[in-house]
Amino acid sequence: MRDDGRRARIMAAVTGKDALAGAGELIARLCRLAVDEMALSGCALVLMSGRESAGMLAGAGRHASTVTGLQMELGEGPCLQAHASGIPVFLPDLAAGGANRWPAFAAAALAAGVHAEFSLPLTVGPDGIGTLDLCRDRPGMLSQEQLADALVTADIARDAVLYQQYAPGDTSVAELLGTGGADRIVVHQATGMIAAQLDQTTSNALARLRAAAFASGRPMHDIARDVVERRVRFDD
Amino acid sequence: MTETSGSADGRSGDSGQYDRRGAEAALARAFVRLADTLASDFDIVDFLQGLSADSVEILGAEAAGVMLADQRGGLRLVASSDERMRLLELFELQGAQGPCLDAFSTGQPVQASAADSRTRWPDFARHASDSGFQMMCAVPLRVRTDVIGAMNLFRGTDTPFTADEMDIAQAMAEMAAIGLIQERALRERTLLTEQLQNALTSRVIIEQAKGMLAEYLKLTVDDAFQLLRDYARNRNRKLSEVARDVADRKIPSTALTTRPGREP
Repeated sequence: MRDDGRRARIMAAVTGKDALAGAGELIARLCRLAVDEMALSGCALVLMSGRESAGMLAGAGRHASTVTGLQMELGEGPCLQAHASGIPVFLPDLAAGGANRWPAFAAAALAAGVHAEFSLPLTVGPDGIGTLDLCRDRPGMLSQEQLADALVTADIARDAVLYQQYAPGDTSVAELLGTGGADRIVVHQATGMIAAQLDQTTSNALARLRAAAFASGRPMHDIARDVVERRVRFDD
Repeated sequence: MTETSGSADGRSGDSGQYDRRGAEAALARAFVRLADTLASDFDIVDFLQGLSADSVEILGAEAAGVMLADQRGGLRLVASSDERMRLLELFELQGAQGPCLDAFSTGQPVQASAADSRTRWPDFARHASDSGFQMMCAVPLRVRTDVIGAMNLFRGTDTPFTADEMDIAQAMAEMAAIGLIQERALRERTLLTEQLQNALTSRVIIEQAKGMLAEYLKLTVDDAFQLLRDYARNRNRKLSEVARDVADRKIPSTALTTRPGREP
C-alpha cells in the first residue's frame, strides 16, 4: 500500500497539468524529477539490445549521457552489469575503489566529474530491457527514501517503455531511440565496414573499433566517422 | 473448517475415518502449488489438472474439471481429473448449459442435485446422470469482478457440498485465478519485451549490413541501403531478416547486385 502511494505521488508529479506526448517525454520528466529530488547530476534510461547498450531513451541533468556514453565506448560498466544480472549496482564512491571491477570506466567517469553511480535494472520476469542510471557529482549513498523512490521510478519507466511498444502511436520505441542517435548509427555502420575489411564477425569488429578508440583516446564515433567516410581502414 | 471435517464422516469413499489434519495438510499443499504460476516452466494445463486433482481429493468429489473463457467469451475445457469427465465437459460446452456456465456468467457459486439439474439444464442433467453423477457444484475462477472461468465438481452420491466445502472450493478457484491472471500479465509483458529487443537489434543489424555492403561493393551507405531494401522487396522478405543474413554472410554481397552494369 505504501508503494502504491509512492507510485501515485511520482505519477502525479510527472503528469502534471499538461498532456504527455508519449513514453519519451514521460521518462524525460521522471529523470528530471529524480535529478531535482535526489540531488543527482544525471539520470537516464538506457535500453539494451542483447548485451550491448542500444542507446539512451531519455535523460536529465548534465551527466545524463556521460555514463551511458562511457559504457558504449568502453564496453564495460555498472549498467551493463545491472542489465546482465538483473540486480541493482550501487557505487556511492567511485574514487574509493567501489568500481574496481571496471577500472577504465571508474577512471573515465571520475575524469568527467561523476563520483557516484547507481544502476537499476528494468526487469520483466527473467528478462531485462535496460537500466535506469542515476549519478552524482559528489560521493554519497542514496537515502532509504530516495532508493525507494528510484525503484518505483524505474518501474514506472519500464511500464512506459512497454506501453509504448504495445501502443506505439506515431512513434515506436526504436524510433524514439533513433532521434539524436547519429553517433550511434555511424558506429554500427563502421562496425559493418570493419567486419568486411577484416573478414570478421560484427561483434569482433565492434571490439576492434572500441579498442582503437581506447588506444587513441578519441571518441568511438569520431573514428567510426573516419571509417564510413573512408579516411581510415582497419586492414592496412 | 471444523464443520467440514465433522460433516465428512458420512461421505462416500473407502478411506474410513476422515482425517482432519491430513485434509488440512493437503489443502495447504494445494495452496502452495496454486501460488506457483510464475515459474519458468509453468504449464497451464498441468496447473489446472493439479487444481482438479487437488479439489477431488480435498473436497471428496468424484470428478472435477476446469473451464476457461476463450477470446470470444465462450467456455472451453482446459483440464479435468479424468477422461470421462472430459467428455461431459465437452458436451456442456456444446450444449451451452450447465453449472459451470452459470457460475461463469453470474460470478457466483452454484450447487445442484440431480433433480435440480433436471429442471435447470435438462440436456446436461441427462448426460450427468448417465455418467453416474448425482450432486454437482461449480465455482467461478474470479479475481474481484474479473471472471476468467469456472471449476466443476461432481459427486456420485447425493451428499450436498457443505457451505464450508463450497468456501474451500471457491478459495482454491480464486487462488488459481489470481495465479493465472499474474501469469498472463507476465506473459504479455515478456512478449512485448521480446518484440522490443527484436526491434532494437534489427536497427543495429540493418546499419551493420549497410556498412558491410558499402565496403564489399564500394558503395555509399545510402546506396547500400537501397540494395538491401530492393532485395528484400523483390523476394518479399523482411528487411531485418535480409540484413541479418547479409551480416552473417548467408547472403553474399554480390547476390544483391542484380541490376546489370552495377559494379560487383
